[in-house]
Amino acid sequence: MSSTEAIVLAKVPRSRRRHPVAVWSSLALLGIAAFLVLFGNLIAPDATAQSILDSLLPPGSPGHLLGTDELGRDVLALTIAGAASALVGPVCVALGSMILGILLGTVSGYLRGPIDFIIGRWTDLLFSLPLLLAAIVVAGVFGAGYWMTVLLLILLFSPSDIRIVRAGVMEQAARPFVEAAQMLSLSKTRIMFTQVLPNVWSLIITNSMLNVAFALVAFSSLSFLGVGVAPGTADWGRQLTDGRAIMIDNPAAVLVPALLIIGVASAANLVGDWLGQNLTRTGRS
Amino acid sequence: MTDTDVANAAAADSRGPSATAQVAVTGLTIDGPAGVVVAPFDFSIAPGETLALIGESGSGKTLSAKAIAGLLPAGFSARGTIALSSATIELPATDAVWRATRGRRISLLLQDPFTSLSPVHRCGTQIGMTIDAATDRRLGRDERTALIVQSLAEVNLPADVARAYPHELSGGMRQRVAIAAALATDPELLIADEPTTALDAGNQGEILDLLRGLQEKRGMAALLISHDLGMVRGRAEHVLVMRNGDIVERGVTSSVLNSPSHPYTRALIEADPSITDRSATAARAASGGLGVGEADAVLGISAGTAAGAAAAVLSSDLVTATDLTKSFGDKTVLHGVSVTVGRGETVGIVGESGSGKTTIARCIAGLERETSGVIEFDGVALAPGRASRTPTQMQIVFQDPYSSLNPMINVGRSLKLALRVAGRPASDLAGLLNLVELSADFASKRPAELSGGQRQRVAIARALAVRPQLLICDESVSALDVSVQKQILDLLAKLRVELGLSILFISHDLAVVRQLADRVYVLRNGDVIESGQCHDVLNSPQHPYTQALVAASIHEAAAH
Repeated sequence: MSSTEAIVLAKVPRSRRRHPVAVWSSLALLGIAAFLVLFGNLIAPDATAQSILDSLLPPGSPGHLLGTDELGRDVLALTIAGAASALVGPVCVALGSMILGILLGTVSGYLRGPIDFIIGRWTDLLFSLPLLLAAIVVAGVFGAGYWMTVLLLILLFSPSDIRIVRAGVMEQAARPFVEAAQMLSLSKTRIMFTQVLPNVWSLIITNSMLNVAFALVAFSSLSFLGVGVAPGTADWGRQLTDGRAIMIDNPAAVLVPALLIIGVASAANLVGDWLGQNLTRTGRS
Repeated sequence: MTDTDVANAAAADSRGPSATAQVAVTGLTIDGPAGVVVAPFDFSIAPGETLALIGESGSGKTLSAKAIAGLLPAGFSARGTIALSSATIELPATDAVWRATRGRRISLLLQDPFTSLSPVHRCGTQIGMTIDAATDRRLGRDERTALIVQSLAEVNLPADVARAYPHELSGGMRQRVAIAAALATDPELLIADEPTTALDAGNQGEILDLLRGLQEKRGMAALLISHDLGMVRGRAEHVLVMRNGDIVERGVTSSVLNSPSHPYTRALIEADPSITDRSATAARAASGGLGVGEADAVLGISAGTAAGAAAAVLSSDLVTATDLTKSFGDKTVLHGVSVTVGRGETVGIVGESGSGKTTIARCIAGLERETSGVIEFDGVALAPGRASRTPTQMQIVFQDPYSSLNPMINVGRSLKLALRVAGRPASDLAGLLNLVELSADFASKRPAELSGGQRQRVAIARALAVRPQLLICDESVSALDVSVQKQILDLLAKLRVELGLSILFISHDLAVVRQLADRVYVLRNGDVIESGQCHDVLNSPQHPYTQALVAASIHEAAAH
C-alpha cells in the first residue's frame, strides 16, 4: 500500500473498525469492578459477619437481595467485598509477570547469545511446571497465603510474557531504525528500552490484559481448592467453593460470583484485544 | 478534454468495452471516507494483452487494482461493473462473490516478494493452497504435487523449489514463486501491482518477459500497475495515466510515451532518471536551493572548513577498505575487495543483489564485522564492529524509508536524539528540517503520516544531524517513485556541494549512480571487476559484465 493511502486510512474513524458496543460495555464492567475493588469494603464493611438465624435465605428475601449462605452471610455484601480479594491478586500477577517479561524478554531478544540461552532454558523449566500442582506443593511447604499465591503465579505466568516480549523484540531489532540508532552509538540498554521496546508495547499490553483474565480464573481455581485465599475471607473464588454445597437452597451464592468472574475475564480479554489493535494501528507504517 | 471525451476517444480507438474484449471494466469508481477517491473510468483488455496503469504513489492506481481484486481497505468502497468472459461482477460485490472470483478468475500479484509469501510455509505448500482453493474437487497428494511442479516449471524454477522456504530464495525467485501461485488457477485476468519494483535491474526484465510469455500462451489479460515508464514500454499494448484519481491520458503505449498530450504525462517522462544525466543534476543543484553560506550556517560548518574540504578533494583518502573478505557461515560474499573514498568524493558501488555491495557498506559502517581485511578512516585503522567508530565519522541512509524510522517516535524526537548525540542544541531542529526541504511542522509528525520521499528526507536529516564526514547511501532511492527519486538525488547532489560531504553510494541502478558518482566500482559475486571514473566506466565499460549492465541500462533508457 502506498504511503498516501496509508494516510487516508489513518483518517478512518476508529469506532468503525471495532465493535464499539462490546468494547464500551467491557470498559464499563471493568470500571465497576475497579470501583468495587477500591470501595467494596466501605460499601459492605461487615460482609463476613455471620448470623446463624438468617442462614440459607433464598434470593429476594427482605434485607438480603441475593439471599444468604449457610453461615448467614449476605451474598450481595460478600460479593461486593469479595471483589478486592478476587481482582487485586490477578492484576498484581499480570503486572509482576509483565515486568519480568519486559526485563528478561527484552534482554534475551536483543542481546541473544548465552544470556538468551540461559533465559530460554529458565522459561522452558517454568513452562513445564503444572500450575495447580505447583501451587499445592508451595502451599504445603511454605504455607498457603494470598501473597504467596501471587508470587507463585507471577513466576508461573512470566515465561509466556518473556517469550512474547522476546519474539517482539527480535522482530524489531532486525529493522533498519535500530541500526540507525546503532549508527548514533547509543548504548545497548538505551536502544533496547527507548527504541525497540516502544514498538512492542501493544503486544505487551494485549498480553497483560489476557493475563489478568487467566490469573483471575487461576486464582478462583486455587481458592476453590482451598489453596490461596483463607477460608472465611470474602472472595469470589471462595464463594464458589462455599456455595457449591448450597446450590439448591441459594443458587445466587454460586452463580453471581461465577458470572462476575466470567464477565470480568471476558471484558479484560476484549479490552486487551481492542487496545492491542489500536496501539498497533498507530505504529503501522 | 473531459473524461467523457477521453472515454469516447478511447472507445473509437477500440479500447472501450467491446464484444471481443475478455475483460471489460465500466464505471469503476472508488469512494473513500472523505468522498470520491478515484473518478469513474472504463477500460477493457483483450485476451493476451496488457494494459498498464501508471501514476505516482497516491494517484489511486493501487486502489483501483485492489478494487478489481475485491481487496479494498476498510473505509473504501467501489462502484462499477467488471465483465469477464465467465462472469459479470457488479460492484460492490459480496464476500461470497469475491471468494468465487478472486484467485480463480482474477489473480493478484503484489509488489513485494519479501512479504507477499508466507514465511512459515514451504513454497510448494503455498502454490498448493491456491490450487486447492480454485479446485472444486479434492486433489490427491500426487496429483497436487504434479500440478505444483508444473506451475514451477512454467516460471522456470526447478521442482525442488517446492521444498524451499521463501527466505531461502532470492528476490527474483520469490517473485517467480508468487507468479506461479497467482497463475496456478489459470485466471482470466492477472493484476500485477508494481511486480518488479522490489527487484534489481537484471531480474526486472526477466520477470516481465516471463509474465509476458505466460500471458500470451494462456491468452490471459493483464493489468500492470506501475510508476515505471521504462517498464511499461514494449510490455503493454495500452496505457492509462492516472493522477489524483483521474485518468488524464490513455491510448496506445508508444504514442502516449512518444507524444504525451497531458502535461502530467510529460512531467512523468521527464522525471525518469534513465534519460537525465549527472551534469544536468549538478546544474540543477547549483542553480536552486539554499546558498552555500546558508547551508553552512545551518550545519554550523565554517566557510573555512568547507573550502578546505573542497580543496582537499581527492588529495587524501577519507576511507580505505583493503582486502575485505566477509563470510556468513560457509558462504563467502566478499573475496578481498578494496574500496577507497576520497574527501569530498562521491563513490558509487554498483552490482546486482547478492553481489556483496551492501555488505561492504555495512562493514565500513561497523554494522557487520568483516572476516578479514583492514578498514582505515582518516588514516586510522578501525577494529570490526560499531564500538571502534563514532557517530560523526559516518552515517547511513538505508533503502527502505518505511522501516528506517522508528514508527513509535515522531520526527522531531528522532532528529533531536541525533542532534543531542552530536552535542548540538535542540533548536537546530528547524534548520535541519529546512536543509532537507521540509517545513518545521514535520517535527510533530509520526513516520506513518509521511510519504516515502518525506521519510527518506527525514532519514537524510537524521544522518546529517551529527555532521558526519562520510554519508553512506545504501540503495537509498531505489524504493522511491521516479519523481521522488529525482528530488532526493537532487537534494543529495546539493548537500554534497554545500557541505563538502563524502558519499558512498550503493545502488543496483546505473542510471542513478551515473547522476551522482565521481568514481564507480562494479561488483559481482563479491569481487570488484571494474573500477574507475564514473564517466569512463559507464561510457566505455571493459569487462563483459559491466558491458551487459550498461547495455541493459541503455535499453531501459532508450525505451523512453
